[in-house]
Amino acid sequence: MKIEQAPLPAAGAEDVPRPSARGDKALILHTQRLSTEDGPGIRTTVFFKGCPLSCAWCHNPESISARPQIHWMEVRCIGCSICVKACPHGCLAKKPEGIIRDRTACQACGKCAAECPADAQEVLGRETGLEELLAELLKDKVYYEKSGGGVTLSGGEPLMQPEFCVNLLRRLKESGVSTALDTCGLCSKSALEQALPYTDLVLFDLKDTDPVNHRRWTGQDNRRILDNLLYTRDFMAAHPGKALWIRTPLIPGATAGRDSIERIGHFIRDNLGSVAQRWELCAFNNLCRDKYRRLGMDWAYASTPLMSRQEMSDCQEIARGCGPDPAKTFVTGAARVEN
Amino acid sequence: MTTQSCGVPRYSIKEPKSLSPRIQWLRDYYFRGNDRKWNNEFVGFTTGTPWDIQYQEGNYYIVPETYTFFPTFTGAFQQASFKIELAEGFWEWSLPERHAWFVKEAMVYYLPHEVLPGDLIAGGRFNIQTSKCFTEKEAGEYSKATYGKQGARAAELWFHNHGYGNAGATSGHLIPDYPRILREGWKSVHEELNVRLSTLSQREYGGKKGAQIKAMLVAATMARDVAFEYSSVCADLAAKEPDPARKAELTKMAEMLRHVPWEPARNFWEALQSLWLTHMLVMSEENYPGPGVSFGRADQYLYPFWKKSLDEGMDREFGKELLKCFWIHCNYAYDAMIRTGGNQGITAGFGQLITLSGMGKGGVDLSNDLTYGMLEVIDELSPLLEPKPNVRLHRNSPDKLLDKVVDMVASSQGSPFLLNFDERSIAGMLREARMAGVEKFINADNVFDYAPVGCLENTMCGNDRSGTVDINLNLLKAVEHALTGGYDLIAWTDPMTGKQEKLKPWGAATGDATRFKAWGEFWNAYAAQTRAIIRRAAGLYDRTDNIRAKYFRTPYLSCMVRGCCDKALDVNEGGAELHFVTIEAVTYATTVDSLLAVKSLVFDSKECTMAELITALKDNWKGHEVLQARALHKTPKYGRDDDTADDLAKQVMDLWTGETWKYKAPVTGKQYRPGMLSWNYWVGDGYVLPASPDGRPKGKFLSNAICPCDGADINGPTANVNSVGKVMGGKAATGPGDWDGYLSVLPNGASHTITFNPSLLRDPEHKAKFTAFLRSYAENGGSALQINMIDADILKDAQKNPDAYRHLLVRVTGYNAYFTSIGRELQNEIIARESHRM
Repeated sequence: MKIEQAPLPAAGAEDVPRPSARGDKALILHTQRLSTEDGPGIRTTVFFKGCPLSCAWCHNPESISARPQIHWMEVRCIGCSICVKACPHGCLAKKPEGIIRDRTACQACGKCAAECPADAQEVLGRETGLEELLAELLKDKVYYEKSGGGVTLSGGEPLMQPEFCVNLLRRLKESGVSTALDTCGLCSKSALEQALPYTDLVLFDLKDTDPVNHRRWTGQDNRRILDNLLYTRDFMAAHPGKALWIRTPLIPGATAGRDSIERIGHFIRDNLGSVAQRWELCAFNNLCRDKYRRLGMDWAYASTPLMSRQEMSDCQEIARGCGPDPAKTFVTGAARVEN
Repeated sequence: MTTQSCGVPRYSIKEPKSLSPRIQWLRDYYFRGNDRKWNNEFVGFTTGTPWDIQYQEGNYYIVPETYTFFPTFTGAFQQASFKIELAEGFWEWSLPERHAWFVKEAMVYYLPHEVLPGDLIAGGRFNIQTSKCFTEKEAGEYSKATYGKQGARAAELWFHNHGYGNAGATSGHLIPDYPRILREGWKSVHEELNVRLSTLSQREYGGKKGAQIKAMLVAATMARDVAFEYSSVCADLAAKEPDPARKAELTKMAEMLRHVPWEPARNFWEALQSLWLTHMLVMSEENYPGPGVSFGRADQYLYPFWKKSLDEGMDREFGKELLKCFWIHCNYAYDAMIRTGGNQGITAGFGQLITLSGMGKGGVDLSNDLTYGMLEVIDELSPLLEPKPNVRLHRNSPDKLLDKVVDMVASSQGSPFLLNFDERSIAGMLREARMAGVEKFINADNVFDYAPVGCLENTMCGNDRSGTVDINLNLLKAVEHALTGGYDLIAWTDPMTGKQEKLKPWGAATGDATRFKAWGEFWNAYAAQTRAIIRRAAGLYDRTDNIRAKYFRTPYLSCMVRGCCDKALDVNEGGAELHFVTIEAVTYATTVDSLLAVKSLVFDSKECTMAELITALKDNWKGHEVLQARALHKTPKYGRDDDTADDLAKQVMDLWTGETWKYKAPVTGKQYRPGMLSWNYWVGDGYVLPASPDGRPKGKFLSNAICPCDGADINGPTANVNSVGKVMGGKAATGPGDWDGYLSVLPNGASHTITFNPSLLRDPEHKAKFTAFLRSYAENGGSALQINMIDADILKDAQKNPDAYRHLLVRVTGYNAYFTSIGRELQNEIIARESHRM
């Protein structure tokens, strides 16, 4: 079988990030309060910046690079050109089509964003201290308690910043907060070993079990991911009260086919058994098109429409018929509008 | 999340369901609005004197939209009124006796009595405008006090035109002692009044007290006599009715209307009939349809009748059928000026609140089968505005209730569904008891029986006539005066003459703000100006309260408010056991954010000088767009759960609420208290008040009640809720606080609205999350919450007004986006797609 050429990784991912060894600070994109889609109950989701994969369909392109980035929010701009003057490296220019950033010269120093009076220049990724973040997360403790929710670490890949993640998870547990880790699985085993004791729920992304396809679509081999998944399975199984959910993106032309879904379903059935309590298949969405544009990145899926309702139903039927408990198998997301 | 939901469009218009042909017809007929031949439009009645007055404009001083029409309404009702033949000796009677007789005469003998086809509850028309029964001398005095150059009307217009807000003694907004009428009948009220009359000294008998009790005695027979009229109508209809089933109903109604409301109700049907007639006549007497005359804890006091009738074999569905008739009756309040506003009345908000559930003593939940029956009625009739359901939630609310509420919120599409939170509300009620020294009437043993009126104003039941919406004060005016040292920022221009007023030092003399060296100086100036605007508001209110106490009597209502009989005083004279007057602070978040902006821009980051800021505000930010953007986006804001900002917000709160408690109305003795409700003033007054330091230009909305400014709550609903809870007092660090660890500086309650994306309620799993959110609100939030679902309309509005929705997040699985920052084409897709979520 001929190995097909993988699509080029997105521009932001050219510097494949390395794990950070810092334990007291992390590069955080955003914290989302009243998060209802990342585990049980009401949660706060912390989006870490930096990801070792470069999935062709990535919905969060700003989370790929492990360095801060800056984007220009056109609708907020009042056209004052203060950012252009503020840039110490001369990367910005005001053109008829808007403020143009020379990304080869931009060091994301953030001066333009600091000076912009309208928050039109926005820094993506902020160095955030552990104590500061923890204080923010604990503000919603009542909501976690009343709902059976907690805090989810997501990204990007949180375990790209393993020391910090472990510290954060431990501190959350010490504060009585339930924790979840949303991981792509590509991380060192030692990071997982350290993180799992403080993690109540792992949301494990399983994009494909086929190594060729996986490399083709994500730029990376999946052997370590599968190893880590099995390790996670064993750890969760050995520690009652902990849970494992599997998440699979449904991408038209990539993972949304019968073969791919069944492969994963069989893998779950054969290897994860009763440990995996839920399988979420998340439908492709294209809302991030403008994020790619603002980051100056090309996107192979820019013109791909949303899945049809029929396609989503079909996927759900396939997933529910291929092994894992159908009552714990869900397709989520939005279908395209059809007349 | 499952495919089962695929086929259900999310934005289908909610349709009523499970309606019998009878109710379907009654509901459809109501919604024909202006096309109906029969309606409940105001009918005016006059004594026939040339000086007669019907329209009591003081009731509408809190409705600035009506100011322009005062002379028209006053004249028009006078011209269109029917003359009532006066009884002999009428003009020798006291004012309250004249008025009691006149209203009764109109309701019993003049206003037609009609029963709609199929209706099971009698009591059709009730909207009247009656003569105030003034003698020529009284009319002269009243006119001078009201219309004169120095009169209340001129003072009101001045107050509003200068951006302070509005104030006026307003009718409605209370919960009469209906349970007593159901239990004991009007007969018992009448007996008590007779006893009271007999205990008066001879001097009192011939004086004011005797006049009041005698007036109340007349009023106490009004409901009986009106019921007799309806009884005859039912009997006549029954005689002509060919359908035996309907004939039996009408015969039964004819019989029951001879009995209630004079006698105690013997079953559920009689209780509802008694309640409706009794309630409707309050609106008749006050000439004030709907606003705020509320039912209180109806699921509690009607329950014994409900249970008895069920035990005696009433079909539960028939009980609901009776309730549905009752519900539709309440909506006819909107007919009052149906021709003036077309069908506008149907969409306007009045607020006969009906309270459901809530805790009893010891924190036990009091939900019962009637609570759920009423919720079913609301659900099945929905959308229908009145009576407005207000569900009281607390720590021990059962899952069954919350699940039902959340299901209804999910499908209500923004129809009014108010949630009141007991712990925070009770803390406020006990604080006001302590502050006013009325623990005898509000204490740990009875506070559970509070209920909201109007929108969400917490009130005791049956003994509390408080001006719950009577003063609406723009706190922002104090920021303006702190910037200028007590002058208006921009001189007022008379729109009729184009003449600009000369600036005068209306506020406190706090000096030239451009010379302030430190933030503390500006804060002190703001505090002095706050004290000054509260003093001015109280002064204006006191004038309107005095006029009402002197000229307008409501003896019928007074019969159902404990304290009036004992004191032989009308409710309008301060007869009720409890009577507060609320200052509702408007523009709270705009004020806080403006102070934060002054502190940040002028004193902390020094982005501009005070003089530059003042110039920018005078120019309405034109030519100062960069500074405006900084004010909007680079300064802290209330509503983000940011302790620094919320600390200043709390200071603002403590200042104005503390100041409010210092006032008492001189004639009626009403204690002033704080609350937060902005009705629609936050929209209209945005065109009156000049630009504010938070970046808001003149003409843009102000903040609503206790809510953060539009678009400021970038950290989402939980942060928004936490900020609101904090500024209301949060929880006591140690000890019991005001009640059970809770504190509340706003005893009259605070209006809080949050908007959610409907996808949060898309399946049972997400509904459970929302239920948990409401349980968390009881811990961290305020006293009352209204939930809006972001629907396609809101998203469309966000397209048009991106600034107001900068931080509106559209969350899709594993991904979220600022709605306004994505391309137009995709926005359109999202709008269309909202109905296609799995």
